[in-house]
Amino acid sequence: MEDVLDLFEDVAADSLGYARRWKEETGGRVIGVLPMHFPAELAHAAGALPVILQEDEEPITIGHKSVFNFYCGFNRSLIDQALRGKFSGLDAIMFGDHCVQLLGTADVIRANIPGLPILFNQLCSIIDAEWALAETERTFQQLWKELETLIGRKIDEADVRASIRLFNRDRGLMRRLYDLRRNGQIALSARQMQAVVKSSMVMDKAQHCALLERFLTQKRSEPSAVRSVRVFLSGHLCHAPKLDILDLIETCGGRVVDDDLYHGFRFIFADIDEQAPPVRALADWYLSRNRKVPCPTRAVKGADWEQYLLKAVADCRADGLIVLMAKFCEPHMFFYPEIKEAFERRGVPHLLVETEHEGVALEALKTRLETFMEITRRAVAA
Amino acid sequence: MLNLVDRPGPSPIFGNGERANRLQSTRFGGKLVNAYWESLFRAKEEGKKVVWYNGTYIPPFFHAHDLAWVHGEAWSAYLAAKHGEMPAQKAGEQRGYDRELCSYARTHIGQALIDLGKLKDGTLGIAPDDERAVTMAKLPPPDMIINAYPYCSSGQQWDDITYRLFGKKVPMFTVSIPLLWGGRPDAGYLRGEEWEQRSRYVADQLVAMTRFLEEHTGRKYNFDRLSEVMGYVKKAARLRLEAMDLCTATPSPASFFDWIVSIAPVNFLPGDQNLVTYFEGVKAEIKERAERGIGAVKDEKYRLFFDGMMNWNKVGWLADKFAAVNACVVAGRYTHMSFWQEPELIDLDEPVLGMAQNYLICPNNHGAPIMIGEIERICDKFGIGGMVMHASRTCRGMTNSQFLIAESAKRNGRQALFFEGDVADESFYKDELLNTRLEAMIESMEAQRRAA
Repeated sequence: MEDVLDLFEDVAADSLGYARRWKEETGGRVIGVLPMHFPAELAHAAGALPVILQEDEEPITIGHKSVFNFYCGFNRSLIDQALRGKFSGLDAIMFGDHCVQLLGTADVIRANIPGLPILFNQLCSIIDAEWALAETERTFQQLWKELETLIGRKIDEADVRASIRLFNRDRGLMRRLYDLRRNGQIALSARQMQAVVKSSMVMDKAQHCALLERFLTQKRSEPSAVRSVRVFLSGHLCHAPKLDILDLIETCGGRVVDDDLYHGFRFIFADIDEQAPPVRALADWYLSRNRKVPCPTRAVKGADWEQYLLKAVADCRADGLIVLMAKFCEPHMFFYPEIKEAFERRGVPHLLVETEHEGVALEALKTRLETFMEITRRAVAA
Repeated sequence: MLNLVDRPGPSPIFGNGERANRLQSTRFGGKLVNAYWESLFRAKEEGKKVVWYNGTYIPPFFHAHDLAWVHGEAWSAYLAAKHGEMPAQKAGEQRGYDRELCSYARTHIGQALIDLGKLKDGTLGIAPDDERAVTMAKLPPPDMIINAYPYCSSGQQWDDITYRLFGKKVPMFTVSIPLLWGGRPDAGYLRGEEWEQRSRYVADQLVAMTRFLEEHTGRKYNFDRLSEVMGYVKKAARLRLEAMDLCTATPSPASFFDWIVSIAPVNFLPGDQNLVTYFEGVKAEIKERAERGIGAVKDEKYRLFFDGMMNWNKVGWLADKFAAVNACVVAGRYTHMSFWQEPELIDLDEPVLGMAQNYLICPNNHGAPIMIGEIERICDKFGIGGMVMHASRTCRGMTNSQFLIAESAKRNGRQALFFEGDVADESFYKDELLNTRLEAMIESMEAQRRAA
């Protein structure tokens, strides 16, 4: 069991290194994909390895000349990586989601790596608009066309369907892990769960599926019987929370039982219809995502993130909520007060932890987490 | 926004002590702005429905349908002019809105919405009979909310929050104005497949918006009336551009700061004869100054371009600061690349498509190569020697490409400086940093001038 997790952790820690090795071995194309809503299935069907671009661990250095320090760590890291030549192994990037900071990053990358094709297709963010379906279908058709131009041949519908099936299988396997974790049937730390999901954003999908299937058939260890505080983790859009923060939550007495992190359940919760025409299926997948797990970057009148979180916390029998908010992430900052108020009204313990690319003062965070665990234990006992 | 210029305060102790020679004709705009707000405060009494909106200059659609409208940014600025933004931002922070969030939004949400409810029980920290509280209480609540933000995702999310603060009961419509990325081979300013496709996409949404207005007013939308309103807007926009062109003269008869105070009329005031009269007055004064060799800055030596969103708390202050080193900020991205800057695109018989196109070309909605090409064109036209980059802390929409713009300026032999500030949160502005950097840039420009 550990060997599979070790491999996932290695890939998650060095996504571009994995992509480079894959390219050397296969001679195929590597296409960078921006979070959080692009269907990597299309790039896969084009015969490429789609890799969701990740924040890396390096401090921002040369990137400071092209991005302000009041941008989120993910954007700053992307620009820094681009300027350090880290994207030299990419054959293209699928860009153009809604976030205003990411739009700026696209321009900086275009200016600094002029030879790198950017397949820019901005998704419709008002997903309950009367034109949303038509516009989303048009966007995915355009992306399909641009991928064909990139690879110099047609992408067959049958290939897209096959990619959809494979990606669904991978997501389904990861959801099984989530169910096991919720039900206390597997001892999987937050660090390990992140490695499972993050590696799936990078690895060859068939390889990831095979490893996951092997992992699921192996003998599983169950969580310790020692009563720990059951924690639901929320937030951290676009990029992964730092592992030292996840570790600290657990060393302070918490056990993460569920989440809505992008490097977590938000990435895997929705499958794509395998029967419908592919473009329609991709569009439906995109437009329905926000109704299932609300995302603050999207405008949908009927979706309430705080109500979703209250229900999700109750469903997994979590004792409390920890919100991980990346500093300078505006959509999260807009919606956080409603989450806070909803949890206060319901009397569910919750804690906001602001994260930064440069790291946080762990000793100070430790005190806050210990206090949170103590408050939550008392709330549970009351 | 106009009112902020008149905010009392001392001139900066800096440079030679000269102050900006502002246009006198813009004072008429102050009267128009005050009349607009007074009319808005009476809207409910007059039986008008009220639209709260954010984003681009869509009021002609409301004007043509006899609605009253509140522009969120303008309302925040109006309150700021009355020294009410700080309690508003504090109230926002108390609810949990982070200080790094767009300060327009924080002010609007914190003051105009949350606090209105709290005014009644005095928990705002302002006495209910305080003049600021009385002003705030005058704002009519929305019957509809419309969002039409080019480029900026935060602008869209801001109105999502407004919608939620009103209990998700006020009908809301959102127009999507996507970025013109300009990545296809045929892409260029006002041309190419993407331009054509996006123009139609936004125009269709604007027509859908008129159906939304019909649905929530029970009245048929009158497109002839829209054409009539746009007739005034188009005329005013032409006058504005003609007046701007007169500023190629040396010394420049008007400055960027005069154009800043002229934004309110062209941004959110009614499209009627007053709008035309305003710009006729501005153009006439500029023409007269040009003929007499009178500059917006005494003894103009340096001509600058202002990039970024305005620091609305510091308009008059900044105008005087540049004047004090004989530098005229002649043009800016915010003023010269927005607000109906392509009036000839508007066909008055069928105005919607041209309106959509003007909304699409707002000053940050082009990908960097095309946007910077336009900036360089303007700089060449006005003989610009240096760029002033306002890094507005909470406005990512206008700061996004600023390093690329500065690099381009340097490639073209222009000096560039950055200073930090913000659109509506004064705490981010550091005067001494600007002083030092401005002095350094002026010295460099002087050396360049002597060497030439």
